[in-house]
Amino acid sequence: MTGPAPGVLLPRASPARSSLLWALAPLLAGAALAGTLQATLPGQRLYLFASPGLAAGVTGMLGAALVVVVIWVRMRTSAATDAALRRAAAQATQDRLRFLMRLDHELKNPLTAIRAGLANVQLAGAVNGTADALTSVSAQTDRIARLVSDLRKLADLETQPIETAPVDVPGLLREVTDAIGEIPAARDRSIRVSVPQAPWPLPLLDGDRDLLFVAIQNLVANSVKFSSPGDTVEVRASEDGDALLVEVADTGAGIPPDEIGQVWQELARGRAARSLPGTGIGLALVRVIVARHGGRTAIRSREGQGTVVSVRLPVTGRAETAPGVADLRQRRDTPGKTAV
Amino acid sequence: MTGTPDSRPVVILADDDEAITSNLAPFLDRSGFTVHVASDGEAALELVERLDPDGCVLDVLMPRADGREVLRRLRAAGRWLPVVLLTQVGESGERAMALDEGADDYLNKPFDPHELVARLRAVLRRARPGRRPLSAAHTLRAGDLRMDRIARRAWIRDAELVLTPKAMLLLDYLLTHPDELLTRDRLLEVLWGFDFPVGTRAVDNRIAELRRALGDDAARPAWIETVAGQGYRFVARVDDAR
Repeated sequence: MTGPAPGVLLPRASPARSSLLWALAPLLAGAALAGTLQATLPGQRLYLFASPGLAAGVTGMLGAALVVVVIWVRMRTSAATDAALRRAAAQATQDRLRFLMRLDHELKNPLTAIRAGLANVQLAGAVNGTADALTSVSAQTDRIARLVSDLRKLADLETQPIETAPVDVPGLLREVTDAIGEIPAARDRSIRVSVPQAPWPLPLLDGDRDLLFVAIQNLVANSVKFSSPGDTVEVRASEDGDALLVEVADTGAGIPPDEIGQVWQELARGRAARSLPGTGIGLALVRVIVARHGGRTAIRSREGQGTVVSVRLPVTGRAETAPGVADLRQRRDTPGKTAV
Repeated sequence: MTGTPDSRPVVILADDDEAITSNLAPFLDRSGFTVHVASDGEAALELVERLDPDGCVLDVLMPRADGREVLRRLRAAGRWLPVVLLTQVGESGERAMALDEGADDYLNKPFDPHELVARLRAVLRRARPGRRPLSAAHTLRAGDLRMDRIARRAWIRDAELVLTPKAMLLLDYLLTHPDELLTRDRLLEVLWGFDFPVGTRAVDNRIAELRRALGDDAARPAWIETVAGQGYRFVARVDDAR
């Protein structure tokens, strides 16, 4: 999130020089064309060079036509490239979803059979010394079943329609921190929520409250998971133009630079996560939920210092106001207060 | 279900995957059912004709008539025996379809076999021999509440309830499973087709929405009772309004 944008690093002509070049482009291109004709057909005497005015006019027209053609071809090529890229991305998504569904489908029956078989053995009574093995096999089967169901969840979320209704984000954040408070490890972390009240409260967000809960809950749970007793977890919400920004920050372990690019991928499990329970689906789930709401996710982290994940969700098309928040909206519309 | 051979409920288990039937049938048998296995839909229909069983467990994906087709044909023939569908897909559309077609319950693979036994016992207990099950009814009535299950609309007296699609789905499930303890996890699966990380609050929120719409008092419920620490129970008597 820091440092110059990649584009700034590229050498570029100054704006004044570039516009002069563009203005002269037709004339230069025309002259070049005429020069080429003259050079390739030296036996022919080109009539247009009899009059310098006519020469300038004709070369200008020829050049303009040439420039228009070049620009047109470039636009067409760029549009075609964009369309091809979009098609390829859509195809890749489709292929991935199809793969997840096939995997899910192929694993479901064997897993059902294994579970039924294990239940049989358990009912029949374990033979001496096999009880531990049986418990272990059952636990591992449940683990695979959970993984399969998590992958399925992800594929489902990418495709199933989402329900939208006005969501009161401060209320949602309170609910998330209440739920997190039930995790034993959360007790010795300092968890703070900050929501602005001035100059006006946060606007309502159009979205699926349950899914947004899952997304934010996953982020806060991650912060708790990858921090130690005494660490701080901050959940911050703010208004940013036409969007709501929710940040979940912690003073935890941070993510090594070589792992940060992969955190949003499904089944990605960092080295630090290997000793902890989980399927590596959480952040992928967050990414999908945020994307389904038209939003964006970003992550910044410093190893040994902490991590901040930001979620930017557009506030658009609010058709109604939740009853409990109607008075807040009115206050927002009071004249005399202008947005900055 | 007293455990004596005579009172053991007879159920048909239809799945084309032998790995499943060969493991599941003995488990159901040990759990107190007399099980007959069918490896496709036609075989399941023949067994129903021949044995007049107490219930059916049907996989949705089977050769020669899939689970849905079997269910449709059973219902069209006026056979109202309880049916549990084993669904393959977790999508909400798939679940709504299973219930619309008159399945008494459904389970997503890979399910916990103990859960199947619990569901089977529940649907058998709820069964009204010879009568259409609530899950196959078009319109249900509970006191002043009326629900058109096909149109997915509900009224209290003449006032139509304004509900989100998920709350409507939940109401439908409660009405078709009256007087049954429905755990939060179970209701979550009804709503979403899968379990959320710590998302059982999603269920509480929808129940709160339903109670608001119904004007139900959680402390003295006329419709939805909270079972502390476990889940909810629809306490009003539900009838098929025809």
